[in-house]
Amino acid sequence: MLAPLHSANTSQAPVTHFSSESCCLSIDHLSLAYAGKEALRDLTLSVPRHRVTAFIGPSGCGKSTLLRAINRLHDLNESVMHSGQITLEGQDIYDPQMNVTELRRRVGMVFQTPNPFPMSIYENVAFGLRLQGRLPKRKRDDIIEWALSSAALWDEVKDRLHRSAWQLSGGQQQRLVIARTLAVQPDVLLLDEPASALDPISTLKIEELIRNLKSELTLVLVTHNMQQAARVSDYTAFLHQGELVEYGPTDQVFTNPRLQHTENYITGRIT
Amino acid sequence: MTSASARVVSRAARFSRLNTLWPWLCAASVALSLLMLGALLTLLLVRGLGHFWPATLEEVTLSSGETFAGHAVREVPLPQQEGDERLYFTGNQDIEGARWRWVAIEQIVERAQPTDLIRIDRSPWGDFIGHLVAIEQGDQRWAGDAAWQQLTALLALPASQRQAGQLLLTTVDGQTLRQPLANVASAQAPNTMAWRQKTYAWGEGVWRFLSEGPRAANTHGGVWPAIFGTVLMVILMSVIVTPFGVLAAIYLNEIAHQGRLTRLVRIGVRNLAGVPSIVYGVFGLGVFVYGIGGSLDEWFFSDTLPSPTFGTGGLLWASLTLALLTLPVVIVATEEGLARIPEAQREGAVALGATRLEMLTRIVLPMAAPAMLTGVILAVARAAGEVAPLMLVGVAKLAPQMPIDGEFPYLHLERKFMHLGYHLFDTAFHGEDVQAAIPLVYATALLLVLIVLMLNITAIFLRHYLSRQRGNEC
Amino acid sequence: MTPPRLTSARQPLRLLQDRVATGLITAGGVGVLLAILAIGIFLVWEALPLLAIGDTLALAKLSPLAWGTLKAALAALLFAIPVALGAAIYSALFMSPRLRTRIKPALEMMEAVPGVVVGFIAGLILAPWVERHLTSALVLIIWLPLSAGLAGLLWQLAKTRLRRRLPLSWAGLWLVPWLVFMVAIALWLAPWFEQQWLGGDLRHLLDQRFGIDYATRNAMIVGIAMGFAVIPSIYSLAEDALADVPASLIEGAQALGASRWQALWKVALTAAGPGIFSAVMIGAGRAVGETMIVLMASGNTALFSASPFEGMRSMAAAIAIELPEASPGGQTYHLLILAALVLFIFTFLVNTLAEVVRQRLRRRYRQMGGIS
Repeated sequence: MLAPLHSANTSQAPVTHFSSESCCLSIDHLSLAYAGKEALRDLTLSVPRHRVTAFIGPSGCGKSTLLRAINRLHDLNESVMHSGQITLEGQDIYDPQMNVTELRRRVGMVFQTPNPFPMSIYENVAFGLRLQGRLPKRKRDDIIEWALSSAALWDEVKDRLHRSAWQLSGGQQQRLVIARTLAVQPDVLLLDEPASALDPISTLKIEELIRNLKSELTLVLVTHNMQQAARVSDYTAFLHQGELVEYGPTDQVFTNPRLQHTENYITGRIT
Repeated sequence: MTSASARVVSRAARFSRLNTLWPWLCAASVALSLLMLGALLTLLLVRGLGHFWPATLEEVTLSSGETFAGHAVREVPLPQQEGDERLYFTGNQDIEGARWRWVAIEQIVERAQPTDLIRIDRSPWGDFIGHLVAIEQGDQRWAGDAAWQQLTALLALPASQRQAGQLLLTTVDGQTLRQPLANVASAQAPNTMAWRQKTYAWGEGVWRFLSEGPRAANTHGGVWPAIFGTVLMVILMSVIVTPFGVLAAIYLNEIAHQGRLTRLVRIGVRNLAGVPSIVYGVFGLGVFVYGIGGSLDEWFFSDTLPSPTFGTGGLLWASLTLALLTLPVVIVATEEGLARIPEAQREGAVALGATRLEMLTRIVLPMAAPAMLTGVILAVARAAGEVAPLMLVGVAKLAPQMPIDGEFPYLHLERKFMHLGYHLFDTAFHGEDVQAAIPLVYATALLLVLIVLMLNITAIFLRHYLSRQRGNEC
Repeated sequence: MTPPRLTSARQPLRLLQDRVATGLITAGGVGVLLAILAIGIFLVWEALPLLAIGDTLALAKLSPLAWGTLKAALAALLFAIPVALGAAIYSALFMSPRLRTRIKPALEMMEAVPGVVVGFIAGLILAPWVERHLTSALVLIIWLPLSAGLAGLLWQLAKTRLRRRLPLSWAGLWLVPWLVFMVAIALWLAPWFEQQWLGGDLRHLLDQRFGIDYATRNAMIVGIAMGFAVIPSIYSLAEDALADVPASLIEGAQALGASRWQALWKVALTAAGPGIFSAVMIGAGRAVGETMIVLMASGNTALFSASPFEGMRSMAAAIAIELPEASPGGQTYHLLILAALVLFIFTFLVNTLAEVVRQRLRRRYRQMGGIS
């Protein structure tokens, strides 16, 4: 699966190739600039279906920027310029014919700090569903129960579905946000440091949830926590200063990195 | 230690002791401001509400032997000599030609408070103060105590059910008067009233002030048409200003490219809140009344020209002018509310596949609603107290017709209307008998201040609630 | 456990709705902003004929109005600036925080009192009273600041227990009864003072000795009434500027051995200087444009007189009285519109200056790490 390359100290990143049926998302020579400042440079990698892929790297390396590009969240900001291609299931997401809202439904995103809407727990999960059109109440209730169960939150909140979501704890809020995203049945779930604002126990719950969810969909995780990446991900990409340094199966990247640079980062010699 | 340095130290100490008085001057500034505000409100409350309390009537005998009845209003020192003089309200303008009387206190021989002195509020000529001799209704006649009982019974009935009749009245110096019952609005005998009856009469007086139209050159009656006009104008104004203000705020904060131009526009809008209201009035007169109104008249109401329909001040133009005046208030408040919503909420909605419209209507606007409401309330508070621009675009001393009536199209936007603030100004400065109108002016001022303060306090509480809510979120 | 797949046929409709709504909001927003802008354009357009001809006679008519406006505004600021800034300094730097959360909204409430009410009180109640008791009024103006200083002196001489019971941080409140008491004393003593030193009648004296006329509604009355209306806007902005001075600055000065008052005076006032300046500017803008108070409390005589005991006519008041009677297109009409244009430009410039200064100050505080 992996073409072994032993060229130490080259900035040329090796590429992990997946066959077209096992590849969910592929990024091809992507460069991106904020207001003239380059954030991503000529990035190429592909993400396998039903696996957890982690992006790691020091802060400011562009990993969150990359994640937001997959969701086209940069559209909200006019000063972002990009070149290159991102394809989701063979479809170019920056194609003018592409329906952005439909894309964002298919590519869910969970942010660093929990951002439940100021509504009830039920309404939070129903929010995305309501956007998709009218559903019979029975069916909507079913989907909401399924989404909350999938996010391992149902047992905790089933008696207070109509209370404000802001009364939940931070970890519960983050799982609610995941449930809210799951409810619209995305193909890909992007997680932007989902546990960085949480306590250790909540973090463990989220990690367990991520491992369980990969049977349903493809997950992409951005984290600055190396142990977390090692614990939950199948593949790991190491980014530095907007470039892809190393990409491969997690155990290989962590135990036997090909590049000195990667090893320095993983062992904490650079931050 | 040299003596020179000791001198320097002691001088510094003396200087710093004087310096420590500065904070006290500053503290006194706060105290003075509070005092002024308190004094203003107390004055309005006491004079505005006190007017409706039934005043004790006196029968005054002077050293010249002359007698008159009335109630004491105030005392001032006599000009150029010792002693004070006292002002009495005596009513009986039809008999004596004046309602007020100044008397030097040393001329007063006797002040009595006979229980049968009554005060009657009539619709021409205003108050009568004197004795009730009898009531005649058809062939029936009541005299003495029975007359008073009959009168109170009659006045308790609604005006339409009262039978015609007349009152036989005498003043304290013996002049008699026949008063048709139809012109009598109310009667009281304050000297016999118990404390509870006076309270009741006071409540009735306040109610009449709020619910009746002005009579007798604004010296009697109430301010109902002015309240109605003010409220209607303010409602129309908020209906206009809310959508446009919110629209402009959404555009500025959510859609427009956040560059130098947007920043300039924002400063401009903020500054327009500081442009004098009279300038908006000039704009309203020139553009709305003469410009748009004049053209409307030419196109649709040419048969009634040269008398203007829309080409003169009216309800619509006043509301539009005040809407323009308060637009910056609403825009600024709404923008503050929008800016306060965390970007994460917007991104959360968009990441679930919401379009910008859906994000705005389902997440952003509901969250900004209290801020918008604050803005609208502040706008209403500002508009309710604003008088200067209205003088140019459609307020009237006395509007013959209400702007809403049973005639098609029910809401008459072209009509002039009465306004509490202007009513106050007009009564106080252009009234025929300012002296007699002043109690009602106090009451009007109190009403206006209460309305505006209430609105402002509501806005403050909303803002407080908002900042608490923001606290929860963090 | 997999739910039935979602099917969505609404996509094109939703996108269309979004596009239409965005267009409408843009159109509406730009329209509203243009409408606001139209005020300036209208005024310039209507005043242009007068300026183009260079009608000096008409412009000469405007000058007493301009003088009246300036005189009224100056009188108001003369009263408002010391009181408002004093109040701002006290409540930002000395007042107990608990009291401050109550007092600040109360003082800002002053701004809400409609001008027409203030004008009524000033023109019909205050003006006749001051006319009758001119000496008392003048004695009060001098006596009140002195009595505040007296309170401070007495406090320093007082026992520690009393000082603890009546701390400086609550003085804004407990000085109110003290001031009431002082006002009563001043009113009681003023007639005696007038008898002893002013020959029994100050107005007579002014007229005889200095040839000063006294008009019932005059600049002093306008100053007090409009000062009342302007105090809250100056106070509120100046207080914000002072309260936002980073605490580290003040502490730093105190650490260098400055007394508390020196530290505050030197450091806080210097740091907040631009903010205080912009507060005064905003106050000046408000004083220049206030209509009803001047209209009701000034007598409305277009005079060139610097005397505080004579009236004036301001531009705003002239517009309010004369414009409804002026025939559109006539010379008076254009003249009054020119007056409105002058008011508009003046207040707009003053406010912009204040806003720019304020924003620059806020940036500087942020650099100093004071406020978030």
